[in-house]
Amino acid sequence: MTFAGTGAGLALDFPSPPMGSAIDEVVTEEAGVRPPRGASLHVTPLVSEGEVVAKGAALACLRHAPDICFAAPIAGRVARLDLLPGRKLSEIVLFRENEDAVEHHDTSRAGTAAGVRHLMQVAGFWPRIRRRPFGGMPSQSEQPSAIIVMAIDTRPFAPDPRRAIKGQAEVFDRGLAALAELTDGPVHVICAEDDPVRIAPGLGGGRVRVARCGRRHPQGSAGIRIHDLCPAALDTPVWDLGAEDVAALGALVESGELPMTRLVNIAGAALREARIVRTHPGADLRQLTQRYVERGPHVLMSGSPLDGHMAHWLAPRHRQITVLPREAVPDKPHWLIAALTRASRANPVIPTAALDQALAAAMPAIPFIRALSASDDETAMKLGVLSLLEEDLALADYVLSQSGQLTADLRGMLDRIETEYAA
Amino acid sequence: MTRGLWNRETVALMLIAAYLPLALFWLWSGGADAVARLGLAALVIGVWHLVFMLARAQAPSLAALVSALAIAMLAPEELGVLRMVLGISFGVVMGELVFGGWGRNVVNPATIALSFLGFGFPAFDWPVFDPQVAWAAIPAIVIGVATGVMPGALFAGAILTGLVAYAGGVLGGPVILMAGIVLVLLVADPVTSAATTLGRWIHGALYTALVALFASGWAGAAPVQIAVAAALLASLAAPLLDEAALAIWLAKRRRRHGRT
Repeated sequence: MTFAGTGAGLALDFPSPPMGSAIDEVVTEEAGVRPPRGASLHVTPLVSEGEVVAKGAALACLRHAPDICFAAPIAGRVARLDLLPGRKLSEIVLFRENEDAVEHHDTSRAGTAAGVRHLMQVAGFWPRIRRRPFGGMPSQSEQPSAIIVMAIDTRPFAPDPRRAIKGQAEVFDRGLAALAELTDGPVHVICAEDDPVRIAPGLGGGRVRVARCGRRHPQGSAGIRIHDLCPAALDTPVWDLGAEDVAALGALVESGELPMTRLVNIAGAALREARIVRTHPGADLRQLTQRYVERGPHVLMSGSPLDGHMAHWLAPRHRQITVLPREAVPDKPHWLIAALTRASRANPVIPTAALDQALAAAMPAIPFIRALSASDDETAMKLGVLSLLEEDLALADYVLSQSGQLTADLRGMLDRIETEYAA
Repeated sequence: MTRGLWNRETVALMLIAAYLPLALFWLWSGGADAVARLGLAALVIGVWHLVFMLARAQAPSLAALVSALAIAMLAPEELGVLRMVLGISFGVVMGELVFGGWGRNVVNPATIALSFLGFGFPAFDWPVFDPQVAWAAIPAIVIGVATGVMPGALFAGAILTGLVAYAGGVLGGPVILMAGIVLVLLVADPVTSAATTLGRWIHGALYTALVALFASGWAGAAPVQIAVAAALLASLAAPLLDEAALAIWLAKRRRRHGRT
């Protein structure tokens, strides 16, 4: 906690070659559709292997909510349809083919709340929404108490969402109006302090508002902003979306076609050249980085260096790719060194100013982290754990050098709360 | 995967760096006797850390050196080896190691050891420091607050209250110097001091207020004794202060959002 509370957060400096300003348009030869990370979803496949599908066509729907579909990010042939036991979705791989085919949806009912909701679900937009508490996509009929639209992204190497929606002010406003249909609460558009963002006045009955935050991470983290503006709780879920997805929603409502483009930054220490590409969800990371990687072993991550994970395809909500040199596996340490440094349980967190800043001074950081480490669900819920997800604590994890301990604790706690309270 | 800096041992190293000017001035003015005391304290604490590492698989910490410095500096003089070992063992084992090591303790082990020694063997004299040793506490505060390992709000609360008490004539010169050293060595411990900003302000202020109270009302007490007693009582009150600060924070949020 700082005295004044302004300027909270940390300025991070990860090594990466300089980023060019040109945007390349890339549609990868292969694309993979996967469920949001950590979710296990029972699905009914709507296509079979070998079938040719249009861009935006439904590939599979949820078994218990058949309206909610997963859409093809590119037009092509279904190469592989991997289901886990119990028909849980593992991955659907498409080969690019027949590029001009685009799926068109009926927009005649898009004026009503139920119509917009149905259109978003059948067009495959639903997985782009994330709900809190607990994360994952919302259930079919869930009504959020507020919606957060992130027009700022403060993670290291993150693309500027304002650049992604440049020149799309009208469809962005249309998307915001459509979102306002889905909730009785406010729709907050989060942007930087110095951002001259303009929203059409009176949009969504005046419930669409602009909120501002600083440019230091994690101030532009959705969880921190939700904690600040409209805390999520068991009976008051809050949704969050990226600004680019809101513009896509506007285009879907207007034209019946869901745009699949996405502005993605590729950066990291193992690159010869960092780049910005306009590609699509599920893009093949190897094709996007192939000609730009330094020699030697490297790891490809979907997401930022803080909260990314090794992947083959661009994850459903990620807008950046990080390429890092692969660290050599260290030799096994001497038993005495191991005894001196490794304990039966993880070392405790020592309160420092760095920890306060890593949570953007948004909450009493030390009581919160102590409650998290001690699995004290009730205190953590009072302090706002239900608004947070793994990505919001990724910076604290990094700063405290806990290598995933805090985020694992958070996930364990959220899962426990979900089974105990939400049952 | 990429990793940051601020794990437990980095914080311990930063604390040692902050205490270095204070320790050097004290060793310089104390000579061989001071070196022997510091060596004895470090040895006893090191042995206990080793025992808990072997018996409980509890990783030892460099923060042992910080406790050793505090105990060696502030313990009553001419106690003899046996009493020193007894007091240090009690403080370190019961104050820190049985809770799971540094970072999980609720009271500073050095405060416990000093209280044990001071109140258990009242016949021995408390140490007295040269003014320049006390002045060396200022760089310790600057380094600690600048690197973020010591709570700035706690110093602010303590110093502001100290100024008021000094202006009111309750606090005199020697007590202020000793209170400053104890403030840096014992009260500003990041683990056991209050953990919320408001709690830290009050914790610092409470410490100075207790020092002022004892200085004016406790006849015959040595300045170090007054400061250590105030540090012990203030640190016992720290969880309560945190609880109060959290209650205020929660009430504010409830008023603003209708929920927490």
